[in-house]
Amino acid sequence: MSETPAQFRRRARSWLETNIPSDKAPLDGIAARDYALAWQRRQFEGGWAGLAWPKKAGGCGLSILQQIIWYEEYARAGAPRTLDPLFVALNHAGPTIIACGSADQQAYHLPRILAGMVVWCQGFSEPNAGSDLAGLKMRGRIEGNELVVEGQKIWSSYADMAVWQELLIRTDPEAKISAALSWVICPMDAPGITVRPILTMAGAYKYCEVFYDNVRIPLANVVGGLNNGWATAMSTLSFERGTASLGLLIALTLRIEEMLADCPSSRPLMKARLAQLRAEAAAVRATAYRVALDNEHGVPDASGSIVRLSFSELEQRATAAAVDLYGLDGAKVIGGHGLGHEYLDAFSETIAGGTSEIQRNIIGERLLGLPKGPR
Amino acid sequence: MNYDLSEDQSSVLSALDSILADYKAPPIEPVPFAYGAELDAILTESGFLDIAREEGFGPLDAALIVERVARSPLVVEVAASTLVAPVLPIPQGLRPIALHDGALTAPIRFLPQARALVVLRDDHAAIATIDAGQVEEIETMMAYPYGRLVEPTALSFERFDDAGLVRRRWRIGMAAEAAGCMVSALASVLEHVTTRFAFGRPLGSLQAVQHRLAMASEIAESTRWLAFRAAWSDTEADAAIAAGYAQAHISQFTYDLHQFSGAMGLTLEYPLHFWSYRLRALAGELGGASHQSRSAAAAIWGEAA
Repeated sequence: MSETPAQFRRRARSWLETNIPSDKAPLDGIAARDYALAWQRRQFEGGWAGLAWPKKAGGCGLSILQQIIWYEEYARAGAPRTLDPLFVALNHAGPTIIACGSADQQAYHLPRILAGMVVWCQGFSEPNAGSDLAGLKMRGRIEGNELVVEGQKIWSSYADMAVWQELLIRTDPEAKISAALSWVICPMDAPGITVRPILTMAGAYKYCEVFYDNVRIPLANVVGGLNNGWATAMSTLSFERGTASLGLLIALTLRIEEMLADCPSSRPLMKARLAQLRAEAAAVRATAYRVALDNEHGVPDASGSIVRLSFSELEQRATAAAVDLYGLDGAKVIGGHGLGHEYLDAFSETIAGGTSEIQRNIIGERLLGLPKGPR
Repeated sequence: MNYDLSEDQSSVLSALDSILADYKAPPIEPVPFAYGAELDAILTESGFLDIAREEGFGPLDAALIVERVARSPLVVEVAASTLVAPVLPIPQGLRPIALHDGALTAPIRFLPQARALVVLRDDHAAIATIDAGQVEEIETMMAYPYGRLVEPTALSFERFDDAGLVRRRWRIGMAAEAAGCMVSALASVLEHVTTRFAFGRPLGSLQAVQHRLAMASEIAESTRWLAFRAAWSDTEADAAIAAGYAQAHISQFTYDLHQFSGAMGLTLEYPLHFWSYRLRALAGELGGASHQSRSAAAAIWGEAA
């Protein structure tokens, strides 16, 4: 007899209660990497990795409903934040390889991602191409059975510790953008790669610049077909916009609940502000669940942009309210793990993975069917 | 209120601008903030910070200086020295001054540099001299130096009864400082969206960008004039309105400016944080926007408001 949702919830809660790390995740560096890998390994060994990934991909093959229940219990238990050095591996690279990768790519990479063996980073943005992915200039020319790559990427989170990178390059200089790019698995230890970490305003080394000097990558590392990288990249971004933020969203909802409980009755305006945020969180959560359930068996559709947009802006408002509630000098605000750090880090939410303006364009054009305007 | 600068004010600001011209460049190293010790010394020696004590000058002239100095990427304690100190029994030249209204165990802005501490309570202000041995500097991400008193009970305070006057001047200084930060923050982003291209055109040509930067400009300009009006009238209502308006709009203002600076604006290598961090710290001062708004309502319409 299959497990009911309630039974699954009890089992998840029980496992989390006895297994979540007692120490806080380091913010950057090797310590952050080792912490994230160890936590992922523990989940893998406990049978809790890749819950909604198909069984043939090494996952548990569970329903999206069970995945949601897991995230709810995960947040309730105060487990480590999922926006960590493994975010790209678990939420970008893994799902993209499942959707678009070859059998060999799936067989090699997916088990390593799930087992907490490797960090991945993203290599999409360039100094002169951020929101405008069509403006990518970095070239990869074919020599024999290799791509030779030269150029620069930027805003590549955790590239300083990554083993692999999902790299988007222009492999056909003449074609229109939809037929010009390739999504390539780049080994970060390849000769010719230089990584420079960038200090963020939130106080951590998270982003990096990556420089490529005649880096040779096997053609077999192309995912989704040569010159078909635009479609593959859209799959990647759909995962990021659709389901990847579920765990973060649920944790944010609980944070707002905690803030409401902490708000003294002598601050009625703050209470009203928090109650409004709580209502917004409930609405975003309902939308996110609906989108996740609607897209259970494929690449999330454009409605993921609604989730991405509303979650990212809610997180900014909620962390700002937290700083106002507790004060800049509040015990919950100061320090590397304080809400002050999260407040500053949240500035990136409406930029990374497509700015809020891009999400609004997608919603307007692809969901509402409005005419496409000038960018 | 006369919107034109007097001849004297123009001369003062012209002289100040020639000094500040040497301090427009942000620090080369990626740092959360940089205290402008050299600029501080020059401003002190040249008498700018004592302007409100001079015959024929007053709080409006002080606010003009606070706003102008706040445009620098370097942080200097100016507001307390120019606007608050002249009404307190603090010897001329005893500065920088740290203003505080919370527990003495909490982090205090400017305390690492301060030679005097003014603690604002409901019905009075308490003034103490400070030496470096009494202060422990603490790490901050809010673009100001913050410190903590090593032994708060060891301080000897002098009482000053007119808490309302101190609060009023603090609010004016805070609004003027916010206005200066907004001017430079906005200028840095306008330059970015003019020179940065996306989708084959300057970012600033996109209406979504233009509209919100136009709103940001409206906030910056409103903050500036409200601060100057409050300094000119030197009334409780105007001071609370200026401070409350600035604080209420800082959050949206800073988010929009960071948004249109893109990922670059999220790094310490880009100068925006020198002003946006300061703005965020100012937004929480004196109880925040709702506190100032209630004070303004009480001052204008009485307790029934």
